[in-house]
Amino acid sequence: MRRSTAIFVAVTKNLLRSRAGLFFSLLFPLMLLLVFGAVFGGGSTTHNYVPYIIGAFIMTNGVIGLTSIATEFKRRGVLKRLGATPLTRFEWIMGNVLSQTLLAVMLTAVVIVVAWLAFGLTTIISVYTAIILFAGAVLFSGMGMLLAGLVKDPEAANGLGNAIAFPMMFLSGTFIPLAMMPSYLQTLARVLPLFYFQDGLQAAMVTGDSSTALTDFAVMGALALVFILLGSYVTSWREK
Amino acid sequence: MAETAISVQNLVKEYGELVAVDHVSFDVNRGEIFAFLGPNGAGKSTTIEILECLRPLTHGSVSVLGNDVTDAHAVSKIKERIGVLPQDFSALDRLSVRENLSLFARMYAKSNGVDKLIDLLALSEKSKARFGDLSGGLKQRVGVAAALVNDPDIVFLDEPTTGLDPDIRRTTWGIIKDLKQAGKTIFLTTHYMEEAQELAERIGFIVRGKITAMGTPAELMEKVGGRKMMIFKDGGDRVFGALKTISQDVSMQGSNVVLPFSHTAETQEALSVLGRLGLCPEMEIKSPTVEDVFLKLTGFSISAGGEAA
Repeated sequence: MRRSTAIFVAVTKNLLRSRAGLFFSLLFPLMLLLVFGAVFGGGSTTHNYVPYIIGAFIMTNGVIGLTSIATEFKRRGVLKRLGATPLTRFEWIMGNVLSQTLLAVMLTAVVIVVAWLAFGLTTIISVYTAIILFAGAVLFSGMGMLLAGLVKDPEAANGLGNAIAFPMMFLSGTFIPLAMMPSYLQTLARVLPLFYFQDGLQAAMVTGDSSTALTDFAVMGALALVFILLGSYVTSWREK
Repeated sequence: MAETAISVQNLVKEYGELVAVDHVSFDVNRGEIFAFLGPNGAGKSTTIEILECLRPLTHGSVSVLGNDVTDAHAVSKIKERIGVLPQDFSALDRLSVRENLSLFARMYAKSNGVDKLIDLLALSEKSKARFGDLSGGLKQRVGVAAALVNDPDIVFLDEPTTGLDPDIRRTTWGIIKDLKQAGKTIFLTTHYMEEAQELAERIGFIVRGKITAMGTPAELMEKVGGRKMMIFKDGGDRVFGALKTISQDVSMQGSNVVLPFSHTAETQEALSVLGRLGLCPEMEIKSPTVEDVFLKLTGFSISAGGEAA
């Protein structure tokens, strides 16, 4: 725990001191929120896009952003040096997952506050919202660390992250409502992790459906555990 | 009898068809500076990374401080007690020197004080500077500090002065000698002949994954006869011809004439032969170096960039 906490503090400071990192992690979703708000309007229509923006960006921060960061650490030999200490792969992954979870909380807070101030967002802030956000952040950062363990360099990580993230966004209803998709795509959406995250966010933030939120939480928790354990297995301290 | 810190027996590391380390065996005693000397691609870094528990071995047995590196339970014990300076040390760019060292310190159950290390490595003025803004020499110094942060019993230094300017190289040598004085065992890889000669108590030559010679610098020099050399600068054919009458070992190296000798009387004889012919070339006497031994035993030298030449 001590070592995971040290990694969490270090990688979070390193990320927050990067202007580009902050822009893509926090300000870019905010810009998209303003565009969506201007196009679709405020009030109750915010329910149709705010949870999706939060879900999509927490997912891309993990699957694209964290994968690139972790492979860059590997390329530069930082990971190899840390691997020569008693730090375990699991502790390394958990430190990064915690960092992304904090980033997810910051992202959500910024988006909700701006959506509330600018577009009159009404949302339910409850324990269910908190656990779904937590599960989503852990799930997608765990997925990011698994991908980082599988690929050799940041370029490959970026390509793989994009190849997974964008189809997942389209197929999970981020841009096009699932109801408008053919039934086989609606079935396919149910095997994608982002579906459960966005479904859970809708249930927790908009409809207040605690039973759906808990089911989605359980699915995401199980997937997160699988990704983190697989990531601990495949992570290499150095470039192969 | 000296206590063994590192024991390597018949170590083999294969990557598919490529044998990177080929039945290598050696021991390193506690408190000793042992150097692996060889060109790039010889298997130095692969060996050191196996010792650091960063790479699995293919065959053989390796123990560090009495712990088997293939035993998963022993690995954390080994890592608690070793310090590592990898080639091209890198840390988190946007953290300060102090923050990076604190990060490394928190990886261990026990650690040297970060402040003490900052003082020891003369990093006080740069302790708040971001790692990414430091020069290559300062980064390397932070790397040495990070390698000492857990007060290790063994320090692994993989090409510690590659790419550093001569002044910083000599400073780093001083730090390594201080570590030896503090009782640390040091395992060093290098492609710099003078570095191995300056620092190491024992040297292993590694070429294409195999150890071709090993011993103290004096023992290695014995392997090439341990003879000093008279070097006649721009001696030319006349000097060469004259000296050939008293020794079959005389040779031309470029425009210089080189005469190996074992006793002072041989030098007097050579000078009197040349004197009789009215020849008085500029002359210097050179002791054999690790480089001479390496050249003699392997048939090639190592360029400044680490390539076989």
